[in-house]
Amino acid sequence: MNSMTQSPLLSRIKFREAGTLLGLILIGAVFAWQSDTFLTTPNIINILQQSSINACIALGMTLVIISGGIDLSVGPVAALSAVLGAAMLVAGVPVPLAILGALAVGVFCGFVNGALITWGGLQPFIVTLGGLSLYRALALIYTGGTPIFGLPDEFRALTNGSVLGVPNPVIVVAILAVLAWVILNKSPLGEYFMAVGGNPEAARIAGVPVTLTRQMAYMISGFMAAVAAMILIGRLGAAEPTLGTLWELDAIAAAAIGGASLMGGRGSIFGTLIGAIILGTLRNGLTLMNVQAFYQLLATGIIIIVAMLIDKLTSGKQG
Amino acid sequence: MTPRLSLTGIDKSYGSTQVLHGVSFAVQPGEVHGLLGENGAGKSTLLNVLSGVIRADAGVIEIDGKPVSIASPREATAAGIAMIHQELQQVPELSVAQNIFLGGALRRMGGLLVDRAAQEAEAQRLLAPLDPGIDVTAPVRTLRVAQRQIVEMAKALRANARIIAMDEPTSSLTPNEFERLVQVVAKLTAQGVSIIYVSHKMDEVFRLCRQATILRDGRRVGQVPIPETGVRQVIELMVGRELAKASHHGFATDKAVLTVQGLSRGRAVQDASFTLHAGEVLGIAGLVGAGRTELLRLIAGVDRADAGRILIEGQPVAAGPRARIRAGLGLVPEERKRDGIIRHRPITTNIGLPAMRRFSRLGLIRKGMLRNRSEDLMREVGLRPLDVSRAIGSFSGGNQQKAIIGRWLAADTRIFLFDEPTRGIDVGAKAEIYDLIERLAREGRAVIVVSSELTEVIRVSDRVLVMREGRISATLGPGEINEATIARAAIPAS
Repeated sequence: MNSMTQSPLLSRIKFREAGTLLGLILIGAVFAWQSDTFLTTPNIINILQQSSINACIALGMTLVIISGGIDLSVGPVAALSAVLGAAMLVAGVPVPLAILGALAVGVFCGFVNGALITWGGLQPFIVTLGGLSLYRALALIYTGGTPIFGLPDEFRALTNGSVLGVPNPVIVVAILAVLAWVILNKSPLGEYFMAVGGNPEAARIAGVPVTLTRQMAYMISGFMAAVAAMILIGRLGAAEPTLGTLWELDAIAAAAIGGASLMGGRGSIFGTLIGAIILGTLRNGLTLMNVQAFYQLLATGIIIIVAMLIDKLTSGKQG
Repeated sequence: MTPRLSLTGIDKSYGSTQVLHGVSFAVQPGEVHGLLGENGAGKSTLLNVLSGVIRADAGVIEIDGKPVSIASPREATAAGIAMIHQELQQVPELSVAQNIFLGGALRRMGGLLVDRAAQEAEAQRLLAPLDPGIDVTAPVRTLRVAQRQIVEMAKALRANARIIAMDEPTSSLTPNEFERLVQVVAKLTAQGVSIIYVSHKMDEVFRLCRQATILRDGRRVGQVPIPETGVRQVIELMVGRELAKASHHGFATDKAVLTVQGLSRGRAVQDASFTLHAGEVLGIAGLVGAGRTELLRLIAGVDRADAGRILIEGQPVAAGPRARIRAGLGLVPEERKRDGIIRHRPITTNIGLPAMRRFSRLGLIRKGMLRNRSEDLMREVGLRPLDVSRAIGSFSGGNQQKAIIGRWLAADTRIFLFDEPTRGIDVGAKAEIYDLIERLAREGRAVIVVSSELTEVIRVSDRVLVMREGRISATLGPGEINEATIARAAIPAS
């Protein structure tokens, strides 16, 4: 048997990814037809830049969802990383060290989430719902509710720079996406994510380190939230304790549009990226067409539901 | 005579895998026709084609000589075909009468209201010849499984079914209930209804059927008269080769590989101690609830023991499945779906899970290596179809079991723990699993087999432990193993 043989499962995943891509192309075609400025290089770069934060969060969310969990705390985790990172920057901590510090905050929050879920035996939904309030509260208490201004230019240059016309945030998220893809599809950890999400008890009996696998998923999610926070405060030049509101929902939407099953066990990094870009494209295109924000929200909701319906109809009885 | 139902040249493929190859099949009016084959032979697919759940790629279905199109379950019902599934499709909280009229209620007041009285009267009329003891107003959940099947048959009659297909109807019936089923089947056939009877149990097939069609690997092997064709011959037709002889060769050595000392957990397992040797197959017999599965899970590290310890080749082993796997233990669980397989993932992943490190380099999985190793292992154990990139959930129970055994072979497991290794597996695959167990022993591995089937325990074991109420009540050596000795040790003295 040669390596070209395709199983129904593999071809189904590829089929699903192709479907998401087709959806993006269709949406893009409508906007290109409606607006002259849509299909220009600056605007496309703009879309990628606008999608990069959600994509970043959604990458971590995808791994969590595949491992059978959910992370509702990503927005507040980002906010906490942002304010602590900003405080370090303003206090004169060297930029690389401050960034590492902020990322460590994100990873630590993820560790706490994971520990409560694995060792504490609590439901992921409940733990991260608690985290949603807890981390937000910590960010607000720490700052007294006021934004931290005066981030050094040296730091801001990192996020506002570009290489060959591609903004740095887009490059960073692209690299993280490749890493996430390699983890999911090429590393034992990725197989463990899918095994634990697909059938935790069978995975445990087969010798999968279930606790460690779950921990890793939440820590990666926390890390991604902190990266997104760095991108955002670099662009804004300030860290607001209220940043990241509703990020978790955008990220879940991107993952779901991209084919992640909220039951766990299945999902795709490529699909999630396209899902995030679809959401970004929608906002960008509708703005270009001067559609009001309320209607943009309406369109986003419709796209998510339509994507799920198409998913259900095309997956037939296999789902 | 024109057959009541005839299927001719049925083809069906899923992707590149053809599961039915020009299968033909005919049933006469009033006949009970057995449909036999191993798991994966195509029986379920054929039934699904017949009941409109899936569409065949090619072939003709005729009823009473007239071609019919069956594109949906509704059309199957309209054509007079009813299916009685293994898992009965009933609403437990609704009454017997409501279940019989589910989806086609009798109405009054111009269709506004359901006519309960009429439904109950009609249900009574349908059930009277089958089992007059069933109360049509009782919720279905209060009925015994056998009675619930009879309700399904009444439902089929109500839909004017002329062909009733029964998929493994007796898997949860007691012998008495089976006798009841035999009588009901006789009444149905007397009314001219044709029955397609799918079962693994040869004694039942021989009791009920006069003809049987045998499938193997998606092809029709033939139709044979019963009982003129003997059981052994039928099984050989299903399996496609001669059955391995029933006697077990001892490969047991006196080298102790696993020593269990005073293992206990609550009341389920109390003070279990024994030694297992290289090349030995140790059977564990006992009644359901005697603590056999629990003991196996303690040894595998899946559950934590309250007391006691285990030694592998003289060395104590830490708790938890991972430590036990590293030490050379592997559990093949009874509930494959719940505890064994990762349904959506391919055979390769399911095989590689415990030994990912072995299949990785620099933190990345060597997919080619995993694939080749899986394919070699699965060729040895006879996976059908031999496609290791297919999701394990799409294989039959027997083939899933082969993959789980392959998992531990890939991890170089030296001590295999089987919990009901042939539960839900048909005759032919059973023989293959027994061959595999024998092969493991021949290779010098040690094997524990927990089984509720006495014939199985007697067939595979060199030695048998009998458990009773959480304790090991007897250890039977060669020459002492028979049904009487096991039963005596298993049944609590009252």
